[in-house]
Amino acid sequence: MSLLAVSSRRYLLAHRWQFGLSIIGVALGVAVVVSVDLANDSAQRAFELSRDAVTGRTTHQIVGGPGGVPEAIYTRLRTSVGMRRVAPVVEGFVVLPGGDPGDAEVRRPLRLLGVDPFSEAPFRARLQTGPAQIDLGAFLSASNAVLMSRATAQDIGVGVGETFEVDAGARRRLILVAGLIDATGSDSDALADLLVADVATAQRLLGTAGTLSRIDLIFDETVAGGELLDRVRAALPDSVRLVGAEGRTETMRQMTRAFRVNLTALSLLALVCGVFLVYNTMSFSIVQRRQMIGTMRAIGVTRREIFGLLITEAVAIGVAGTVLGAILGIGIGRLLVSLVTQTINDLYFVVSVRELAVAPSSLLKGLLLGVGGSVVAALSPALEATGAPPRAVLMRSEVEARARRRSVPAAVLGVVLLLVGALILALSGHNLVFSFAALFVTILGFALMTPAAVVVAMRAAAYPMSWFLGPLGRIAARGVTASLSRTAVAIAALTIAISVTLGVGIMIDSFRGTVIRWLDSVLVADLYVVPLGRVPFTLEAATRAQLLEIPGVQRINTVRSADLPTADGGRVQLMVFDLDARGEAGFSFASGDPEAALTAFRAGDAVLVSEPYAYRHAVGVGASIELLTDRGPRAFAVAGVYYNYASEEGLVAMSRTTYERHWDDRAISGFSVYLDADADLAATAEEIRRALGDRDVDIQSNRVLRQAALEVFDRTFLITGVLRLLVTLVAVIGVFSALLALQLERAREVGVLRALGLTPAEVWRLNGAQCGLMGLVSGVLALPVGLALAAVMIFVINRRSFGWSLEMEIAPGILAQALVLALLAALVAGVYPSYRMSRTRPAVALREE
Amino acid sequence: MRPRAYLLVALAASAACAPAPEAPPAARLQITDVLGGIGAAGLERALEPREFSFPADHGPHPTFASEWWYLTGNLQTAAGRSFGYQVTFFRTSLGAPPLPRTDDSAPGIDGSAWATNQVWMAHFAVADIGPGRFFAFDRFQRGALGLAGATAFPWHVWLDDWSLEQDGSGSFPLRLRARERLEAGGDAGDEVAVDLLISPLKDMVLQGDRGLSQKGPTPGNASFYYSFTRLQTSGTMRIGDQRFAVEGTSWLDREWSTSALPDGQVGWDWFGLQLSDGTELLFYQLREADGSPSAHSGGTLVLADGSSSRLDAADVELTVEHTWISPIDATVYPSGWRLSIPARGVELRIEPLIENQELDLTFRYWEGAVSVAGVGLDGTLVSGRGYVELTGYAEGGQPR
Repeated sequence: MSLLAVSSRRYLLAHRWQFGLSIIGVALGVAVVVSVDLANDSAQRAFELSRDAVTGRTTHQIVGGPGGVPEAIYTRLRTSVGMRRVAPVVEGFVVLPGGDPGDAEVRRPLRLLGVDPFSEAPFRARLQTGPAQIDLGAFLSASNAVLMSRATAQDIGVGVGETFEVDAGARRRLILVAGLIDATGSDSDALADLLVADVATAQRLLGTAGTLSRIDLIFDETVAGGELLDRVRAALPDSVRLVGAEGRTETMRQMTRAFRVNLTALSLLALVCGVFLVYNTMSFSIVQRRQMIGTMRAIGVTRREIFGLLITEAVAIGVAGTVLGAILGIGIGRLLVSLVTQTINDLYFVVSVRELAVAPSSLLKGLLLGVGGSVVAALSPALEATGAPPRAVLMRSEVEARARRRSVPAAVLGVVLLLVGALILALSGHNLVFSFAALFVTILGFALMTPAAVVVAMRAAAYPMSWFLGPLGRIAARGVTASLSRTAVAIAALTIAISVTLGVGIMIDSFRGTVIRWLDSVLVADLYVVPLGRVPFTLEAATRAQLLEIPGVQRINTVRSADLPTADGGRVQLMVFDLDARGEAGFSFASGDPEAALTAFRAGDAVLVSEPYAYRHAVGVGASIELLTDRGPRAFAVAGVYYNYASEEGLVAMSRTTYERHWDDRAISGFSVYLDADADLAATAEEIRRALGDRDVDIQSNRVLRQAALEVFDRTFLITGVLRLLVTLVAVIGVFSALLALQLERAREVGVLRALGLTPAEVWRLNGAQCGLMGLVSGVLALPVGLALAAVMIFVINRRSFGWSLEMEIAPGILAQALVLALLAALVAGVYPSYRMSRTRPAVALREE
Repeated sequence: MRPRAYLLVALAASAACAPAPEAPPAARLQITDVLGGIGAAGLERALEPREFSFPADHGPHPTFASEWWYLTGNLQTAAGRSFGYQVTFFRTSLGAPPLPRTDDSAPGIDGSAWATNQVWMAHFAVADIGPGRFFAFDRFQRGALGLAGATAFPWHVWLDDWSLEQDGSGSFPLRLRARERLEAGGDAGDEVAVDLLISPLKDMVLQGDRGLSQKGPTPGNASFYYSFTRLQTSGTMRIGDQRFAVEGTSWLDREWSTSALPDGQVGWDWFGLQLSDGTELLFYQLREADGSPSAHSGGTLVLADGSSSRLDAADVELTVEHTWISPIDATVYPSGWRLSIPARGVELRIEPLIENQELDLTFRYWEGAVSVAGVGLDGTLVSGRGYVELTGYAEGGQPR
């Protein structure tokens, strides 16, 4: 073994805690990145598999508006057009009841796919696997028979021939298991939580008799296939669209993209903190070994060899950390995947992820980031160590003097980076990846400004500290500056970590505050009535009159939510409102003159679009959008852009009058009820229930609805909160490790002080004061940095991800929290070194070098 | 009697025991399996002769388990090119009684037009005699939503875009249309199609005892059965990019029943022959497991004037003169017969126009155009064309 390697090994062993901690730092960072990547991938994969299970070899789909696709079209395609590879699909959700009705958290949605066994063969291979276990006679003739994968049946706890309850449509139904589909591996995943039924059964369960969700078709990519496609198109009424099957999957993929990018970026922040830790450890190890390195250089070891040694050490840390991190990441990923799935279910669509898929690509990403990050972090200290002449390396004072000198150009570079970050933000348009890149540049800029800030802060702290603690206070303050090469990195790491925590915290608070204010402005009615299972229904004039006769009921506003297919195979959600002035006041406009917008909305063929819709589709007031009416596609003018935080995809709002002009659908999805001020909520709700007869409805007060909305909000941000916590954890470990090393290295200095008569208690005080000071400086520096990060996240990242405008909201509590956190992290980190130093006899401490 | 009722039963058995070789693993979500559930619970049986009423009886009889509209014919172009064709619509009631409804749903609110216990199957085959090509296809559909079904007024039987329907205000002429892409399951490319107008040259014949055709010793093991044994047929035949104007004669069988193949029987050989002297001969021979003919075999002789007489198993002698080996799995089919009715002096040689007219479908059997020559009634020399059906020979075509 070469002399170099031996020295490296001896050093690493002697400082195993220091290196161990930086390995843990990298491991945690990598773990967070890997776990988020795995969770994202698993959710995405589950989504694609389940899409594949229900789409199969379909090349095109016929989709319709609010009424779905009239089933007569299917007959026409089969008989008059004579198309063979065409299959009807009825798709919807039923819910496994669990706990209280209305408690979405414990109710598990199952996808119900209604297919026609007579036309299935060319389409969905995944439904046709496994040995014969299917009573197809029962499947066709029983009104409630379904098939499911063996795994799903085991999950639900039912067997063939057994029944179980679900909430379907507005009713609770008994479902019969007519057979099991034996599937393994990805097939089983694809069929997770999927119930397959005959079209008739699905229509009955979902209450959609007469209509299909869509018609699947397979066209060959040949001239004849093209001609057939034209013939099919010609046979279709204007109220439906023929679209490519890929379009829908693609839109759904796009939908969650922003969400996934945000999670990934947040996970990268954890890694940045981890890399900071490596940087800290490496710079530290070089400072500690300056004498050894100087000696080696003096006896002829080349710069290249020293550089190689240091980089090898960094790689070792990186590899060890990454391996540990990958293992840890898979573990954390298992936890995260359920959170990611929950959020996707709340915000986008129902997806069921049975287990974490460990993709090699995710692990590779982790390896590259972990090892690469470690090497990059080690580059600068390694260059530093090998760049200086041997004598200079030997001189500690030279190192610190240079660190202080360099704090100014570093700060200047930091400012430049901030400007670059701002420039990227300004120029990157809607690009989310660039936006995050700008965020990272900004963070780096702030980090570079830290040393200068520390020098200034310590100079300012010296006087109050001496007033407070006497000479010890001044020593503590000056000490921080005196070992700036090490303290600055530790303080920067802590600052970044705390500011990220603070920034994310402020972002969530602001988001939540905005949503609460919005809910308060929108939820102005007293009671909200929706049918169980969200099945649209018609409110006959007589029933409506009856409702209005209930004492205390002033007004009824209805809403209809309908999905319309777009030309590219996507969907747009249309909200149809029948509002009075009070209901209209619920609209507050991001752009467009409110008065003019509402006038156009009421009477003209105009729509209002929600902010995310306007953002995603780049439409503003004055533009027009095409919607598929029952009389074919038609353009509607955009009269205003309104604030809405309910849908991430965006909404199009239309008045009932306009809607009924263009659509035959007369159903509503629910209605709100305004009551007299002194009306009894519970009693009125009971009256309403009675007036609606056998229609099962959910009646909620605005307070309960608001609460439920916030619960969903909190649930969707749970994963953000978890990531924020993980980032903080990495940072605290980083700071702990940095301060530990710093204080241990100061043992000799303290030995001198002890020899000069400093008592152990005074050592405690000195160390405490110094750690406290560093923590405090980090905390104080983290405030503006955190605010800046929050601002970028709120005003740039969030807008670019979702199109929402949020009001920044800074609770004093969260700022105090950041300060306390920084202080605590620093103080805790100082405990062990203080303990050791106070216990060490001065003579031993002095002898140590 | 033409015991094709068994076809459906056999179909069910075949789907359960021996899927077609190219079919995916056994439990596909495909309708071929559904037909396994045929039972007689709650269904009507053919117990005694009934009063037929037309055109009502041209339509469906859903209270019986199975029913078919069976058309076969021999056609020629003006230039003498010959074709055989077969189009059959099978209806079956899923005997599986509906499971007790476990929900409280009121019908009407959530009733679905897709719900049905009527399942339809159709076969379409064309024999292009000259080049010796044979094409056969099958389709399945539910008897709901207008996808497949039958009506008597107007007379209309259809499955997807295959249809047999009256072309005017009366039951005849019938227009028969069927087409299928050569590429299995395809929607584009070369296709085989027929578009024919069909009118009777003779009145219908009630088979068996006034239309009640007994199939086994058990009462009710019988069908209602009538035939149009000579139908004038003209129209077009399309094979790939070739289109032919064709003319010839067809044979239509109508039968409905709720019965099963008696124990011990393995299949049948059915002959429907149209002779040049204006007579038609129907004969079927049920085969016992040991290969011997069943005593319930029989047939009908229809004279030129439309009058008919029954033939018993003992009246007819059938000798196999040649065999043909299926290239699919070396199943041996009879392929050339001598049929004689000694009491009437009839002695006929029957030969397939193409040897390979095996329908390799979900249910496998041989059904093909044949030529006839020999001595007819009163010792005159006759020739003719006809159709022969052979079941229970191949794996996957084995009746229970």
